[in-house]
Amino acid sequence: MYLRFHQTIFWLAGVISTSLIAGCNNSDSKLPIIGERDTIERVTEDGQTVVDTIYHVIPDFSFIDQDSNTVTQKTVEGKIYISDFFFTSCPTICPVMKKQMLKIYKAIADDPEVMILSHTIDPRHDTPAVLKKYAEELGVTGNKWLFLTGEKEKIYEIGQRGYLVSAKEDENEPGGFIHNGAFMLIDKNRNIRGMYDGTTDEGAEKLLKDLKKLKTE
Amino acid sequence: MSYKIMFRLSVMLTVGLTGFFTSCTDSEKVKREQYYAEGYQLYTSYCSNCHSTDGKGLGDLYPPLNRKDPLPSKELFACIVKNGISEKLVIDGKTYERTMPGNPGLTDLDIAEIATYIYNKWGTDTTYTNIYDVKIGLEKCKQ
Repeated sequence: MYLRFHQTIFWLAGVISTSLIAGCNNSDSKLPIIGERDTIERVTEDGQTVVDTIYHVIPDFSFIDQDSNTVTQKTVEGKIYISDFFFTSCPTICPVMKKQMLKIYKAIADDPEVMILSHTIDPRHDTPAVLKKYAEELGVTGNKWLFLTGEKEKIYEIGQRGYLVSAKEDENEPGGFIHNGAFMLIDKNRNIRGMYDGTTDEGAEKLLKDLKKLKTE
Repeated sequence: MSYKIMFRLSVMLTVGLTGFFTSCTDSEKVKREQYYAEGYQLYTSYCSNCHSTDGKGLGDLYPPLNRKDPLPSKELFACIVKNGISEKLVIDGKTYERTMPGNPGLTDLDIAEIATYIYNKWGTDTTYTNIYDVKIGLEKCKQ
């Protein structure tokens, strides 16, 4: 009897969680907004108090791309973009990430609404000229996929506080850097709408699927 | 009578030799398969990030290995896998200049297994790469 009760509870939990997950997978649902949120109370013109939610936004930035152009938040104004962190001499996950990003790059080739920003976490070595050569050897031309360099502190800061990825120096890792291989999907309001494993086919495919969804908003 | 003995002897010898050769090829085959399987694991951990799981490399950044002749010689192959390379490398008319880091932690056997995998999967090899070829290659590149 005791066992049967347990089994029933287990079974019920299974059904409930399955339906919850199924509910979340509803294709009509919007992508979530990732990051901490805050609320702010304000009084409307007709005297009512309403609560607004403030979402995590990618802060303003200023970096330099492979063509030595300055790239800021204005560059991505009105655009959806995908962001990641890497460095050109990285022997570990970067090549795999770049292979996946190349797939995404090809998929969005004719879409003027979407861009890619890849930040180097080794700016001392990865100058615009080094990034230019890297981009060319990868087969990337034009200004849809920008490879960014700049002040190291600023890059690490926007990585950790803006895009919420870990981009830290670690002398014990091959290449001296550690990072998690994530791709971030950023909407036109500069909110993070998805994080994906940039080292797998599944991650890249999920990103492209979510991008499609985001474009219908 | 002596014919009979000779006939019997020759039959025995044939059977014996056939058995000997068969078991010999079998053990070579088994070794090739072992090297290949181990090589695949090592390739996945040490090589595929840059050269890709399908051996195609990546754009003009990293050269392909899925060629009939992955590298001009096994000696050079062993040398590059172990010590890396910072000089330019021309493959199929394309120049690759990116530095490849070495893998000093790999043993001669590891390298022989990786070579077995690459040269059997994409190259024209049908046998395993002997560990002595790797040793000779590594000795030569020290000079």
